[in-house]
Amino acid sequence: MGVPAIPMCTVAYKELADLTAARDGMPHLREVFTPHPVGGKTSAELAAYLVNPDPVSGIPITKEIVEDLTRPLSADEMKSGTRSIAAGPATYGPASADNLQELFMTNGMTDYLPIVIPTAEKVEAMLKGTSHSPDEVLRTPLQGVGYTSARWGYTVRQVAVNAVMAGCKPEYFPVVLAMAFVGTLGLFGSTTSSGSAIVINGPIRDKLNVNYGLGALSPFAHSNATIGRSWTLMGKNLTNGGILGDTYQGSQGNQLDYNNCVIAEDEKNSPWTPLHVQFGYKAEENVVSLFGGPDVRQGAGARGAGAEPAMFDQQISYMCESMVGGSGALAILDPLVAKRLVEQGYESKEKLSEYVYKNTKRAVKDFKESFLAPFHLYPLALEGREPYASWYKLPDDAVIPFFPSAKQINFVVCGGQANAFFQIANMNHFRSESIDKWM
Amino acid sequence: MKRRELLSLFGMSPGLLLEAGVAEAKDKNAVRGAVESDPKLTAVSPKGTPPPIRLYAMAPRANSLDGKTLYLVDATHFDGSETLLMEMQAWFRQNVPSLKTVFRKKAGAYAADDPKLWAEIKANAYATVMAIGH
Repeated sequence: MGVPAIPMCTVAYKELADLTAARDGMPHLREVFTPHPVGGKTSAELAAYLVNPDPVSGIPITKEIVEDLTRPLSADEMKSGTRSIAAGPATYGPASADNLQELFMTNGMTDYLPIVIPTAEKVEAMLKGTSHSPDEVLRTPLQGVGYTSARWGYTVRQVAVNAVMAGCKPEYFPVVLAMAFVGTLGLFGSTTSSGSAIVINGPIRDKLNVNYGLGALSPFAHSNATIGRSWTLMGKNLTNGGILGDTYQGSQGNQLDYNNCVIAEDEKNSPWTPLHVQFGYKAEENVVSLFGGPDVRQGAGARGAGAEPAMFDQQISYMCESMVGGSGALAILDPLVAKRLVEQGYESKEKLSEYVYKNTKRAVKDFKESFLAPFHLYPLALEGREPYASWYKLPDDAVIPFFPSAKQINFVVCGGQANAFFQIANMNHFRSESIDKWM
Repeated sequence: MKRRELLSLFGMSPGLLLEAGVAEAKDKNAVRGAVESDPKLTAVSPKGTPPPIRLYAMAPRANSLDGKTLYLVDATHFDGSETLLMEMQAWFRQNVPSLKTVFRKKAGAYAADDPKLWAEIKANAYATVMAIGH
């Protein structure tokens, strides 16, 4: 732009600011840091920040800004051009398996659980799980676009290396490739510590022995365990994500990141249309749908969970009231719950979504004071995006729907019918992708 | 050594940082000593391909701020950032009266681009301070 610019953030993000500036082409950018945090401080406290020393430079912040805007540039600050960078060596070793385990772990390339060592032979075997060329690029490196962790590119072969490390069998590889193609990889780096979920639909569920029955969400099937794990490893390695303090800033982290909550829908015992068909695919197609958001919670905590007869529509609505607004809901229902909901009159998932949308409400004041509203939803309202623009024009005591639309409320059916239980993921649907295209 | 200095010294390559870590781990292995009879394996790197880095020359600086316009931009809407910039504007008005300050909020959520604002800054401002969080 040709205009001197001073970025200012709190000292907690110094390393991230430095690395981002370097990767974006200004390694000597003149940055200013305040103490942490800024949020929650009074005007007087923030005014004091400005005349007190920058915790990094030791210079009072306002004085530092004046100096940074008037001091002549150094030779380094005037450099331009393009530089290629490397992601490290193409291979590691030869070394013992134990030493390679240690090396991969020490260098942040694992989830700190033992991996399958990705030898060339194992990678070649994995590549037999697809007809696609090993050198096919799933995503080209993007310069200066999006989050720093979203700019790396990768090929089918690079995806295969991560699938091997996760323990996947070659027949799982098309599912892994479909996930990689979506590009929204695991280990989302936000301070909010969001997690992820993977829904698999279609006949491939049985071919790969993906568990959608008893203990469906627990570690009782090799395919569920390794496919889910591969998403986190890909997030770390293919896009340079998961570097603590740099591309990963999740304050508390999220235990979902170990496996990303793999959910295969029990299409046979569900009384409803499968999720992928709702998204426009044919029933016989194999599809993976990726979701992301804060958490997965047990429905047993819902108001009225012990009432007879069970009113699951109300329980689901109650559970949604404490979710992060702006994120969607993915309700995971045991077939017994789904059957009871049919008895309640919900012959389709769409009808149930509509009920939850219409009956889950809050006051405008509560919406405005909710987590995402000030910095994420209010800016959208200023752009005129609905329903947020209209909601911000209403009085504080007006009552509005909790979700912006019924389409953000999704349902999948799985479980062993041992008890009428459900869980709800406070998650948005990112995208669905055909698995068949990657066979 | 700080990571930023490393980036600069080694051509700004995060990948080189990784290689530095690999060297360290290799040393550890040497100290530990692998058992000679262990079969030796070669592992393929799981890493993707990083984008090239385009270096940008920083904008030239004036000798003083007299008569200049400084934009104070709330780029993220995070809690407290607007108040902080308002306090900064008050400080400049009192202590550097020859400098004109303009407060603006970037449109859209924190990761959204705002080309209209950038054009306004380019047309009207000598410089900008961007509050980028948290």
